[in-house]
Amino acid sequence: MNWKFLGKFGGLSAVVFSYLFLYLPILILIVFSFNTKSFPSPWDGFTLKWYQELFGSSTLWNSFINSLSVAIISTSLSLLLGILLIFFRAQGGKIQKALPLFYGNLIIPETMLAISLLSYFTLFKVELGITTLIVAHTVLGLGFVIPILYTRFLQLDKRLTEASEALGASSLQTFIKITLPLLRPTLLATGLLIFILSFDDFILSYFCAGTSIQTLSLYLLSTLRAGVSPIVNALSTILLLLSSLLVMLFFSPKIRSRIL
Amino acid sequence: MYALFQRIQQRSKKESAFVIGSPALIWQVIFFYLPLLLMMVSSIFILSEEGGIQGVTLKNFIPLFSSTHLTVIFSSIFLAFSTSLLCLVIAYPLAHFIAFKAGKYKTLMLFFLIVPFWTNFLLHVYAWFFVLEREGFLNTLLKKMGLIQEPIHFLNSIFAIILMMVYCYLPFMVLPIFSTLERFDRRFLEVSDDLGDSWLETFKKVMLPMTLPAVRAGFFLVFIPSFGEFIIPELMGGDKTYFVGNVVSQYVLGNETGELGAAFMVLSCLALVVAVMFIYFAFRKVSRMLLRGLQ
Repeated sequence: MNWKFLGKFGGLSAVVFSYLFLYLPILILIVFSFNTKSFPSPWDGFTLKWYQELFGSSTLWNSFINSLSVAIISTSLSLLLGILLIFFRAQGGKIQKALPLFYGNLIIPETMLAISLLSYFTLFKVELGITTLIVAHTVLGLGFVIPILYTRFLQLDKRLTEASEALGASSLQTFIKITLPLLRPTLLATGLLIFILSFDDFILSYFCAGTSIQTLSLYLLSTLRAGVSPIVNALSTILLLLSSLLVMLFFSPKIRSRIL
Repeated sequence: MYALFQRIQQRSKKESAFVIGSPALIWQVIFFYLPLLLMMVSSIFILSEEGGIQGVTLKNFIPLFSSTHLTVIFSSIFLAFSTSLLCLVIAYPLAHFIAFKAGKYKTLMLFFLIVPFWTNFLLHVYAWFFVLEREGFLNTLLKKMGLIQEPIHFLNSIFAIILMMVYCYLPFMVLPIFSTLERFDRRFLEVSDDLGDSWLETFKKVMLPMTLPAVRAGFFLVFIPSFGEFIIPELMGGDKTYFVGNVVSQYVLGNETGELGAAFMVLSCLALVVAVMFIYFAFRKVSRMLLRGLQ
């Protein structure tokens, strides 16, 4: 036996093991969402009744809508703030020194940020709710948007903007007609990424949402604490399908350009 | 939008640009740095009811230097370190396979790697719950097969916590290593092979030194959030073991213990910084050792 063989064999078994590790629990979960009887009893027959019950639950729909609106608003806000900062840079503003400020999000664990934000809001007697949640998620988004957008901005071909200005366009026209369209793919990809991060976020929602608003993560936590139920299996199946769709959207430029 | 830009532009150019550029900075300072600063301030200053500063004290830190609190910090470091290490052990071969061997299945494999990453992690916790519970899938299966009589307690153990942590943080390790390996010039490997190096030597002398920065990035991407993780230990560990995240949140949410929580957070962030620096220097040492092996 030589190293090459061992390397090949080891590599393949590691891959098989990893994918089994990732997908076995998920597959079991999906299969039992179609079972007529709820879990400890074995496979009995195919049914869709858990899905019907799921779609009838108003708490679930409320938390879904809440998560969706928080994600949409905070994503748009972070993108807008990012674009404005890049606009400032395009006008010749100096932001290099301020840029490391945004790398802090990577260094501080999210839990610490969430707890600090909670005491901060409590100190200034800001009522916890959807606004504080959006504020917190926008901070999360900025940590991704600004470094990514700035890096891409620096890679853009300067000759394009120079040509535009040489032909008499104002710096504003150049920004809107040249720079922004060039940044569009990056904006879409980053937007999708931070949308997902916000939609699935648990830690910030746990501390900054208060009692008045429930997001999908908080709903999941409460059902998880209540124990195993086939309705949650059904919900998991649907959410997995949704995220598969989004990943396809993210990774296929063809699909992306057709829809967006 | 266009009109807004134009109106602002009509004013003096540079100043107006700063006015539009600054909201991101202001947002970051107000909602990121000030809250963290507040925690630091409230851990060392004595505040009056109205919020005025009355003096400086270290009394909040004194109860923290007890064995219970220090154990919490060390178990968090242990948890974060073992999670990162296990992730690395699983992720490196996986990333290597996807980048070099997967061929036409590359996109598909990448897709299946990212889907769980983009799904709410509580669903994965639930899935493992479903499998590992007392009445769960694994115990039922083992009982049916006649292998066990009594259900095994998989949950509420450090095993369950680390399993779940590795599961949730694995993509953070795979993706940086994968993206470096994908850009890797394969001719280096061929040269090493042609010069008669064994597979292991090629790995040690060529591939590992060149992917070490990515490994380090992945290590930190896993280490830092898992240091603060609190819900996975709570759900999978059944409140048996405490970690930094649980303790800080209990103190801050509790009555009269806010300053203690702030002090504990500052202390654990300091511990995190020390641990991260330690790992950073360890990586530098490894990289120098590998490079010295070349001479």
